[in-house]
Amino acid sequence: MNLGLKQIAVYLPDKRISNLKFKNNFNFDNDFINNKIGVKERAIKEKNEKSSDLCVKAFKNLIKKEIIDTSTIDCCIVITQNPDYKIPHTSSIVHNKIELPDNCACFDISLGCSGYVYGLSNIISFMRFNNLKNGLLFTSDPYSDIINENDKNTAPIFGDAATVTYISENSKIFLKDAIFGTSGKNFQDLICKDYLYMNGRSIFNFTATMIPQHIKKLLIKNNLEDFDIDKYIFHQGSKYIVDTICKRLKINKFKVPFDMLNYGNTVSSSIPIILEKEMKNDSLKKCVISGFGVGLSWGSAILQFHQ
Amino acid sequence: MKATSDNIREIIAEADILIEVTKLKNDILLKDQGADSLDLANILLLLEEKFKIKIPDQDLDQVQSINAIIEYINNKTS
Repeated sequence: MNLGLKQIAVYLPDKRISNLKFKNNFNFDNDFINNKIGVKERAIKEKNEKSSDLCVKAFKNLIKKEIIDTSTIDCCIVITQNPDYKIPHTSSIVHNKIELPDNCACFDISLGCSGYVYGLSNIISFMRFNNLKNGLLFTSDPYSDIINENDKNTAPIFGDAATVTYISENSKIFLKDAIFGTSGKNFQDLICKDYLYMNGRSIFNFTATMIPQHIKKLLIKNNLEDFDIDKYIFHQGSKYIVDTICKRLKINKFKVPFDMLNYGNTVSSSIPIILEKEMKNDSLKKCVISGFGVGLSWGSAILQFHQ
Repeated sequence: MKATSDNIREIIAEADILIEVTKLKNDILLKDQGADSLDLANILLLLEEKFKIKIPDQDLDQVQSINAIIEYINNKTS
């Protein structure tokens, strides 16, 4: 069974908070907002909306693009660290809201910015082993619920979004290989007790040093070189992070999409938001995706496009 | 390797900050000469890598100007 990524849909809330409005509070100038943070405005959900509501909206966008018989969905995974409730798992709530069948396996994965790479590997492995046919992989991590708007390290960065990736046969994109890593000793550097706390310097150092090495390792493992890769889709932590990884890998900027200026860092949704756009690019053959953050956790993968 | 004004400036240039490195003054805080928090994080990481040292968060106030960086690194590596 050759399972792959058949379709992706995105939900970005319409509401935005402009970082330009807050620049004086944080002593930022326009250049810092646009070219360093890379977030001019953040997408913000309605206060009463929960993770599952965002998933449902992403799913509604999916069925506008792809005819899906929900009675055939036999696997549903939600990647979130902001679940609707501590108990039960959010995927069960999504299962109810989009009326999935009783024989559908549902579970959540608690991961942040590395979540999409882990999620793809998980859903495809789980479906293959259990001979499942049609899966939905959701990402939904609305950080607006855990951000202190007065914290200059976190408030200007994060936005709300959800995505859904439809996993099935006869797909266009396939997961060729994935590798993962964790640095648990640094777990306190990005943590939510009451509100999100981030040690910016530590996260920057981790990303700038670990991720380029990790991507090189992935390429070597697969006997690939930079010229074999058409695009590198990095988690959109900030523009500075994306630019730094790009410089350290010595890869051409045109291969590295940057897309967060008008909605922010959407955690596990950042990679599928870009991938959804890149799916329309018929010239792509191989892409690297790489997610990194909370944990500290990271995962990188090679996606093979069959046009 | 000993830290000098020249090699510290080379490292600052490598961090690709928007300020022209030749115009930087050794005795003025980098943040008062236009370096932002991300520039400083990048400069510190490059210093750690080039001089094979660790600059812990509690020492950050000791590495805020070129002169201070030179003194800090030469003390640490001597």
